[in-house]
Parts: sequence; C-alpha cells; structure tokens
Amino acid sequence: MAQISIEDLVKTFGGYTAVSGINLEIRDGEFLIMVGPSGCGKTTTLNMISGLEMPTNGRIVIGGTVVNDLEPGERGLGMVFQDLALFPHMTVFENIAFGLRIKKVPDDEVRARVNAAAAAVHIQALLDKLPRHCSGGESQRVALARTIVTNPAVFLMDEPLSSLDAKLRVDMRTELKSLHKRLGATFVYVTHDQAEAMTMADRIVVMSKGRVEQVGTPLEIYNRPATRFVAGFFGMPTMNFLEGTVEANDGARRFRMAGLEHPLPDAVPAELAGRMVVLGVRAEHVLVGDDAAHPGTAQLTEPLGDATLVHFDSGQGIRLVAKIGPATAIQPGSLLKFRFASESCHLFAVEDGARLF
Amino acid sequence: MTAATLNPEQARARRIRRERVRRIVRHAILLSWTAIIVFPIFWMISTSFKDTGEWVTWPPRWLPHAPTLHNYAQIFAFSSMDPSLSRQAAEQAFSIWKGLGDAVLVCTIAALLALLLGTFLAYAISRFNVGGKYFRYTTLTIRMIPPIVVAISILIYYAVLIPYATSALFGTRISLFDTYVGLILIYTVTTLPFVIWMMLTFIDEVPYTLEHAARLMGAGRITVIRRVVLPLVASGMVVTFLFVFILNWAEFLLALTLTHPEVTTLTVLLNKFQSASEGRLYGPQAAIGTMITIPVVVLGIMIQKHLVKGFSFGTIRR
Amino acid sequence: MQCFARWLASERIFPKIPFVLVESLFIVTILIPFILTIYISFLKWRANRPFETAQFSGFENYEAVLTSDQFWLALGRTFYFAGVAVTIELVVGFVLAMLVSECTRSKKLYTTIFLVPMMIVPIVVGYNFSMIYIDSGPLNQLLAPFLEPFGIDPRIRWLSHPVAAQFAIIIADIWQWTSLTFLIFLSGFSALPRQLINAARVMGATPWQIFWRVQFPLLKPAIMIAIIIRSMEALKLFDPVVLLTFGGPGTSTQTVAYFLWEQVWVFNKFSFGAAASILLLLIFSVLIYFGIYLLIRQSAVGRTA
Repeated sequence: MAQISIEDLVKTFGGYTAVSGINLEIRDGEFLIMVGPSGCGKTTTLNMISGLEMPTNGRIVIGGTVVNDLEPGERGLGMVFQDLALFPHMTVFENIAFGLRIKKVPDDEVRARVNAAAAAVHIQALLDKLPRHCSGGESQRVALARTIVTNPAVFLMDEPLSSLDAKLRVDMRTELKSLHKRLGATFVYVTHDQAEAMTMADRIVVMSKGRVEQVGTPLEIYNRPATRFVAGFFGMPTMNFLEGTVEANDGARRFRMAGLEHPLPDAVPAELAGRMVVLGVRAEHVLVGDDAAHPGTAQLTEPLGDATLVHFDSGQGIRLVAKIGPATAIQPGSLLKFRFASESCHLFAVEDGARLF
Repeated sequence: MTAATLNPEQARARRIRRERVRRIVRHAILLSWTAIIVFPIFWMISTSFKDTGEWVTWPPRWLPHAPTLHNYAQIFAFSSMDPSLSRQAAEQAFSIWKGLGDAVLVCTIAALLALLLGTFLAYAISRFNVGGKYFRYTTLTIRMIPPIVVAISILIYYAVLIPYATSALFGTRISLFDTYVGLILIYTVTTLPFVIWMMLTFIDEVPYTLEHAARLMGAGRITVIRRVVLPLVASGMVVTFLFVFILNWAEFLLALTLTHPEVTTLTVLLNKFQSASEGRLYGPQAAIGTMITIPVVVLGIMIQKHLVKGFSFGTIRR
Repeated sequence: MQCFARWLASERIFPKIPFVLVESLFIVTILIPFILTIYISFLKWRANRPFETAQFSGFENYEAVLTSDQFWLALGRTFYFAGVAVTIELVVGFVLAMLVSECTRSKKLYTTIFLVPMMIVPIVVGYNFSMIYIDSGPLNQLLAPFLEPFGIDPRIRWLSHPVAAQFAIIIADIWQWTSLTFLIFLSGFSALPRQLINAARVMGATPWQIFWRVQFPLLKPAIMIAIIIRSMEALKLFDPVVLLTFGGPGTSTQTVAYFLWEQVWVFNKFSFGAAASILLLLIFSVLIYFGIYLLIRQSAVGRTA
C-alpha cells in the first residue's frame, strides 16, 4: 500500500516559516497535485516527503510506516527533479540503470529492466547517447525512465515540465496521465501552473504561504473554491471580483455597490445581510446581450479563436471581463449590456477571503 | 514496497550517531592540517621575538621566555644607512630598509607597468581580436619558460650584449645588470601574460554594446574607454595589480641572479643573511621573514575570493 | 598633429598599438636574449675572461652537458621530487577539498586558512623549514619520545643526510603547494550541481557510492588541470633548494635549476650554462606542448555538443 499521511507538518528555516501545519491524506494510486505560487511551500513539502529535508515538526507516514528518520533511499520513492538532474558523464542507459547498479542487480536483469523502462517512455533509440546530446523532451523522458525502472510505489515530481516549451508541455501532460494509469502508482506532483493541475490531477491541493487553502477534485476546486485565493488562482482569465454589501429585503437578496445593483440567489443566507462581501463571477458567467440590465462600454477585445474576451467598463471604476462566443460585433468603444448568471456567483469574506456562499 | 524495516527509534538513533561520528572525523582531519599549516608560521613569529640565547636551545622553546623586540629593533635600525660606513660594514648590518625599499619600488613599478600595458592589450584582444584566435594562449607560453633559462639569457644580455652594443653605438658602456631598470623590465615582461589573462576575463564581461551606445552619443574612443570601460573593470584592475605585486614580491630566482648589491629585494636579503654569517642569526632572520610575509598574507586574503572564482575553469560541463 | 591623432584612433590602427608595444617589448627582452644565448652556446667562453677571447667551438658545449652525469642526475632528481610532491599534493588537496566542501559553517574559515601557505613567499617557507629541521629544532623535539627509548639521539641533523634532505625539500613543497590543489578541487566540488547528489540519494546510493559514481567522475577535468599546473611548476623547483640545502649534502638535493645556477653564477661557465639552458628549454617545451595538448583536449571533450 502506498498511501501517504502527512500529519501536522511544519518546516522553519531560521525565522522563516515555509510550511506551517499541513495535514494531508494521499490515497494509494491517486494522482495528487500540489499547486500554488512561488514560495507557498509546495516544494518544501515534497522535499520532506522524499527525505531531502527534515521536518521541524510533524510526521510523514508512507504505507503505514513513519519515515521521518529514514534516508531518502530507504523510503521506496522515485523522484523527478525540476532540472532533471541527469548524470552528465553517463549514457542514457547508465543513467536509467543507476538505481539498479547501486543495489548490485545482476547485469542481464539490469539490461532487461532498463529496456522495459525505456520502452515505456519510447526512448529506446537514445540509450547510448549522452544527456547533453538529448533534447528537452527526450531528457524529460530519460528522467522518467530512471524513476520507473526501480518500481517505486510513490512517484514524486517537482515541476518536471517547467523547462519545456509550451507545445511539448501539453503533449507531456497526456503522456504523464497515461503513464500514471498504466503504472497504478501514487503520483505526488508539484507545479505552479494551474492549467497543468486542472488537466492531470485526481485531486488538487492548493497551497499559499505555507498553508493548505483547499483540497479537492479539479471540478470542486473550480466550481466551489473555498477561498478567494483559490477562486482567483484557477480559471483563465482570472475571476472578476467586486466589493460591496449584501442586502436582504423580505426574501429577495441583492448585491449592492456604488454603480451596480444585482440580484443574488435566494439561497444566500440571511445572516449575510448588511455585511461587506466580495462577489466573484467568472468571465464565462458574465452574460452579454440585449436582454441584460446593466450598461457597459467595451475597452478591449481579445479574440481567442473559440471564444472572445471582452474587457469593459461599467462606470464608477467597475471593470469586468466577459467571455463570449467567437462571432461578435463588439468593438472597443461599443456599448453593451451585461448581467451575471446568478447561479454562479460566489461570495467571500472581505477580511480573510473565506467562502461565505 | 522497499521501505526499511527498522522502527523509527532505531532509525533516528542510527542516523544521529552516524552524523556525529562523521562530523568529528571530518573536523579532526581538518584541524590537524590547520595545525600543520600554522606551525611553521607560528615558529617563525615566535622566534622573531626570542632573544639571542633562546634561538637554538635544546629542547627548543615554543614560546620565548623573555620576549623581546630586539630583533625587530635591529632590522629596523637606521644606523646602517649611515653613508660614512664602508660598504662592507653596511652589508653586515642587519637592516631591512634597503631590501624593503628596493622591493617596494621594483614591485610597484613593475606591477603598474604590466597593468597598464596588459590592460591596454587585453582591451585590444577582447574587442578586436588582435593577434588571432589563440593569442591569449600563446602569451601564456612566455610564462612556461623555466625561470632559470630566462635568468641565464637575461644575464648574458644585460651584462654582456647591452654594454657591448651601447659602447659600440654610443661610446658609453651601459650595463643593465644589477640595476633597477633591468629588474623592473624583466618583472614586467614575465608578469604581462598574467595581466593579459586576468584583464581579459574582466573586460570580456563588459558588453561591447555599451561602448557602441557611447560612441553613437558622440564620445571619442579614448573617452569611451575612460568613462565606460575603466570604471567597470576598476575592481578587476585592483585585483590584478595586487596579484602581480604579490608575484613580484615573492620572486627570488631572477632577483638573485640579476641583482645585488645595488638592488636588493627582500627575498635576496633574507637569503644573503642565511648564507653569509657563520653562526646564523635566527632572531633577526625570523623578524625579516615575518615582515616579508605579513603584507602578502594580508593582501592575499583580500583577493582570495577572486582566486576561488578564477580557478573554476573547465571543471564541469553540462 | 590632429591628423596623426585621428589616424592613431582609427579602427585599423588603434588596436594594433598595444600589440606593437607589447610585442616589441617581448622581442627586446625575450627574443633577442634568447638568440644571444643560442649564439653563446656555440662559443667556448668563461665569464672571467673578456668576451673577445671567446672562440667558436661548435657543439662542444652541448656534448659537455649531455655527457655530464651531474646534469642527468639533477634532471632525474627534479622529476623524482616533482613526482612525489605533486602526487601527495593531489591526494591531500583532494581530501581536504572534499571535507571542506561538506562543512556548512566553518567552510569559509577553513578555506581562508588553507590558502595561506600559497601566499607565503617561497623563500620564507624555505627559511621556516630550515629552522624546524636543525638538530635542536622542534621536529626532533616531537620525535624524541619515539626515538629515545631505542637509545637514538634525537638531535638529528636532517639536512645532513641525503635522503632526509631530499624529503625535507619535498615536504616544504607539499606544505606550500597543497593549497593550490585544494583551491582547484574546492572550485570543482562547488561547481557540482547539488541536484545530482540529491537524485542519487533518493535512489538509495550510499555516500561512498555517490562519491565514486557521481562526484569523482565529474571531477576528472579538475584533476587533470591540477596535475598539469602543479607539475609544470614543480619541475622548476629552486627556492627551497637554495635556502634549505644548497643542493647538499654534496649534490644530493640539486634540482636541474639549481645545477644550472651553480654552473653559471658560481663557476662562471657561461657557455656551458647557455647550452644547458637551451637543452632544458627543449625538454620543457616537449612537456609543455604535451601539457597544453592534454588541456585543450580536456576542454574540447567537455565543450562539444
């Protein structure tokens, strides 16, 4: 079994707290992605799972065994590093074989297993080359093969795709996902790219400033973000945020701010009445059409091919982005009318960004 | 699952113990070498404070029982500079002033000359590829001639050919043997390759586009060098100057073979006192040794950071 | 005047100015004396007689050098000193660099201390060791407890025994120049990417395996450089010989540089010295070319992509 439990994990460097009290259960065989901006503590957490960093406090349990005091090599893990860390003086074959040679695995078994690992990532032709003669994508696969060959139950990956160009990155995402399905191992993956997290993960852990903001499936994270941070981090373009008050007048809920008044779903709890909140609306939920109530002037349009982003101004400093269909007559300067799809409004507290509705 | 089968307690104890042993052994070895390094230096400094009776006692004393500044007083005595003393008497006196003065003069001027010429040439090589692709390597070959070969050639040159030539051409016999000019000249030439090499690395770091920009704004060539390049390589020039100065200061073979007694650098001075006297005067010698060493060690520590950076050539290739 | 200044500053001429200056300096100070030396080497001349009495004598001087036992002994001895000293310097410097690069807090301190011997004037190093080697010196004092029980008088005059004197010189060289190999290897260790070691750790390699399979192979270029640089300098050994032993006892510690010095400055055999220095230059040139060839091949191997 390869489930991982992280209990009250804390890491401080001198006066600086990188990770402050993380609790996480990683299920056996799942593809878990830790995502967040630079400095949020995700790489530090990964390094503590691998054993390259010692926790200041807390425990890490892998497969039922507390591994805090075990050497990295004794934990049964495989790790892919951000800069790949391929040994420049060894051929691809020897790079992959390294983990086996250390354990004095006999030659013919080494050859068989290396070839199998190479075949799994389609690099059989590269086996005699040196790493500096391999392209970015090829080196990436060599690093993967090197981890596959030792059959670890857990794969740790620290932003492995960040050094690849955009197209290659997208291709590798699919490959990683299918690799995960084939191997059935637990993948713990770290990235700062929310698109990667959304497309590959079974579950996502969103981190910020050393804390976990939310844990959930991609759709959960997207549709019901637990904090304003999570809401703003996912989705392209960024969610629109407006600050105002909730009004509750005998049953009807409204959102009011200077220059805008919008109805809210009835499900909004009455306790929020009179409270300052942040209203969040995704660009695709800003509906533009003649049947809408609120006026605005378009400032900029960005044609994406399959959709169009319209940045518009509604007076009193209200600036919003709407995502509408590709064929549109709206130009910078056009007048338009907009409203929010009210089932898709999110309300967050002003003080700490916690989800209110 | 290939995790270890130790329980956490054992694993932690084992890890801590291993780390501690490793650290103790490591520091033991490093401290022993530190002791080996410090010992001769300590001995010299200690001896320089010892009075006559304590120089060669058995068993030897590590610290002087009656520390004295007498040795330093002796080497810094001005009495030997009295012009009324005969040449011989002046030589016998253990005065450091002659050696110190000559060394400072020769080393500084030679280092400055080498710095000026070398920087100028390094600039030309860096920007204009003067001398071809491998010029920067071929200048280093000068440095590879064994110094004794240089010494023999220069000796004949200074002491024979030049007097011969000047008396034939100008009627007066000028010899460069045992002259300031002679020693400065050869020091400059032998350290030029280093200056060129080091200044090349510094000048290469200044983007040529900066100079282009300045020239487009109307600056002349000299102005560009003066106001754009030189300020940026100024610290490099200081490091190079100090490095060459140290090389000259420590130089012995050429000074021994080509000068004395008119020109006497500190290294030659120390050697002379070593070999001349019957009962060797260890005290004053230790004092001179200490005085020779201190400036160099101080300067060396100052430029140490640059040495470490400069020596990482060609070690790892990706 | 204005025109001349502008001509000097022109694109074509300006860069050539330093080149011409430096090259003419080299020609005047190196090339001409060198040619002169070759000329002298074909003459028969002792310096205590006026130059005009020198006669042409063909290859006689070269023959004298090549048949001189002392020359060959000195040469062999130089290689022997260099070989032993450089090998020990490499090993010690490597071990020290490896240990220091693992230190976190005291790294800078150790580095500063370990680099000091390199900065001590070689002549002073020689002097220091001569103080330590005298019969009433601290070396004997430290060894006394080991020797006295056997009835051996600990007041050994190290510099009076040929073999001991040779080792005295080698030890002085090691003391001073291990700093250089240490420096080169320290830079090498610092340049090793940290992630490679981490990768090996995660795959379960023991520290010994990490050293032997990852660090050591990547340090081979540094080792080559250290060998080449140190060897070339060690073969020129002169300063400690003059200060410690004067080539003695007898001629047992004469290096080839010392031998030449003695011939020219003590015995005034100028033409013999000239011939010997030409021969020495030839021998060194072969070694230098070999060394440069190795250096270039080393960096070429590293650079091709």
